[in-house]
Amino acid sequence: MDLTLIVVLVIALALFFDFTNGFHDTANAMATPIATGAMKPKVAVGLAAVLNLVGAFLSTAVATTISSGLIREGNGGVQISPTMIFAGLVGAVIWNMVTWLFGLPSSSSHALFGGLIGAAIVGAGFASVNYSVLLSKVVIPAVIAPVIAGFVAYAATRIVYAITRRYDGRPDGRDGFRHGQIFSSSLVALAHGTNDAQKTMGVITLVLISGGFLAGGSDVPFWVIVACAFAIALGTYTGGWRIIHTLGKGLTDVKPAQGFAAETSTAAAILASTHLGFALSTTQVASGSVIGSGLGRRGSRVRWKTARRIAMGWLLTLPASALVGALAAWVAHLGPVGVLLDTVLGAGVIAMIFIVSSRRRVTSASMAAGVAGMSEVAQSGRAVKIKKPKQPKQPKKPRKPKKSQKPKKPGKLQDLKKATKPKTTTKGKKPKNSMSAELDPVQPPTKDKKKSSA
Amino acid sequence: MIDWGDFLIVAVVTLVSATVVVSLYAFGLRMLVTAGRPPHVGPAEFTDAITVISPAEAALEAKRARKAAKKNPLTPSQKRAALLTAYLCFALCASAVLYGIYLIVPALHR
Repeated sequence: MDLTLIVVLVIALALFFDFTNGFHDTANAMATPIATGAMKPKVAVGLAAVLNLVGAFLSTAVATTISSGLIREGNGGVQISPTMIFAGLVGAVIWNMVTWLFGLPSSSSHALFGGLIGAAIVGAGFASVNYSVLLSKVVIPAVIAPVIAGFVAYAATRIVYAITRRYDGRPDGRDGFRHGQIFSSSLVALAHGTNDAQKTMGVITLVLISGGFLAGGSDVPFWVIVACAFAIALGTYTGGWRIIHTLGKGLTDVKPAQGFAAETSTAAAILASTHLGFALSTTQVASGSVIGSGLGRRGSRVRWKTARRIAMGWLLTLPASALVGALAAWVAHLGPVGVLLDTVLGAGVIAMIFIVSSRRRVTSASMAAGVAGMSEVAQSGRAVKIKKPKQPKQPKKPRKPKKSQKPKKPGKLQDLKKATKPKTTTKGKKPKNSMSAELDPVQPPTKDKKKSSA
Repeated sequence: MIDWGDFLIVAVVTLVSATVVVSLYAFGLRMLVTAGRPPHVGPAEFTDAITVISPAEAALEAKRARKAAKKNPLTPSQKRAALLTAYLCFALCASAVLYGIYLIVPALHR
């Protein structure tokens, strides 16, 4: 097969992998600020995209993390061919798409490693993989990363609540953590950009070198940096809403103080590990942090069922993408026809995943859809005033609600009514919006509860 | 081979840096409240089940909170000291974050 053609194919596929990496990992930085309302969903993913773009340009020193020692190459080892990298990328992309479909935050780098390992095993046998490097650089960090991040986030959450706790019922200022969240999540997004865009740059450079288009040991060409940076930024802006939903809402109900603590822990863990020479997976660190912060706040609970699903996804990532990579490599060994077949099959699978996903769309709008029937209120875009039942002092003014943007669903409202205790009544004229009119008296005083509960 | 020392260092560094940053920010907020200026940051979008409010109502809430905070046993100079401490905390926190950025950009320190 024409070498140029396969190199072009690999570059295109690598950029697509970068894109999936971006939208897979938006959640790491932006799930919690979106969940607490620190930023609007679109603003948040836009910020993450810009920071990923900037991050990709900031550092080009890595690029060695890819397969460094993982696959025995060079003298006495195997020759990594563009075909092998192509097959590995097919495995990584497909597994990324599958986990996205299920809304699982799984590590994109693990998918890439898995795909390359699978392709290498088929191409050059089991001896081509350096298993001790695999264990020490991939498997053990994967176990330790969430534990460290979770513990740190737990401690940080406890500290944050302890410092801001007030017993006299006066304002505790915890709203201010929403501002903090903007900065802490930005830091995570930036760190992600410096880390993950590198991997694709590494892959493309590797292919260019192995295809003889670049001299061995040369730097990453500038156009590769630009292309990778834009691919990951575009992916980030597209936003993997399914995963954002899982991380922001599925694991625990995140409050601003918790979100701030979780993101700071994530950023600290990523920066510390990157600086000290081995990279922890951003995804695993972020998930661990969210769980840790869920354990740290009094009265919050962690949905362990979701956590188990995520952990299963992590366990499967390496072997599953290795399997797909191996299959792709096996087909690719048929020669040009095989590569073509791979391309067609891969594109078919990805198209199918998109079709399946469009049946149950998760978009920025449905981020508002929280737990149970409450979502209808949130989706209406109309805020609901909460009144504390035992405070007759509060002035009971009639509100002038704006028109809600979405039609209300009476069925859900009935459920809501049943679920909460109707204690108060509203005085004054009936608002035009029947939704807020119905909800006003029945909403529990969440705003006030929040202050006293934590 | 597996270097457990590295993991330990990462764990300790993460714990220390995260708790320091988080404590500084939280203490800054606490001092803001003490100084009688509780921050009022409403959610940008109603992602959560129920939230207050139209902008006018938000302003009202903020005003009420400010009023409540004004009933403050501290003297004006004490309040000023608290406010200064708050800003100092935020500045320290920001510099810690900037140091983090400095660390991930190799061009700055290599």
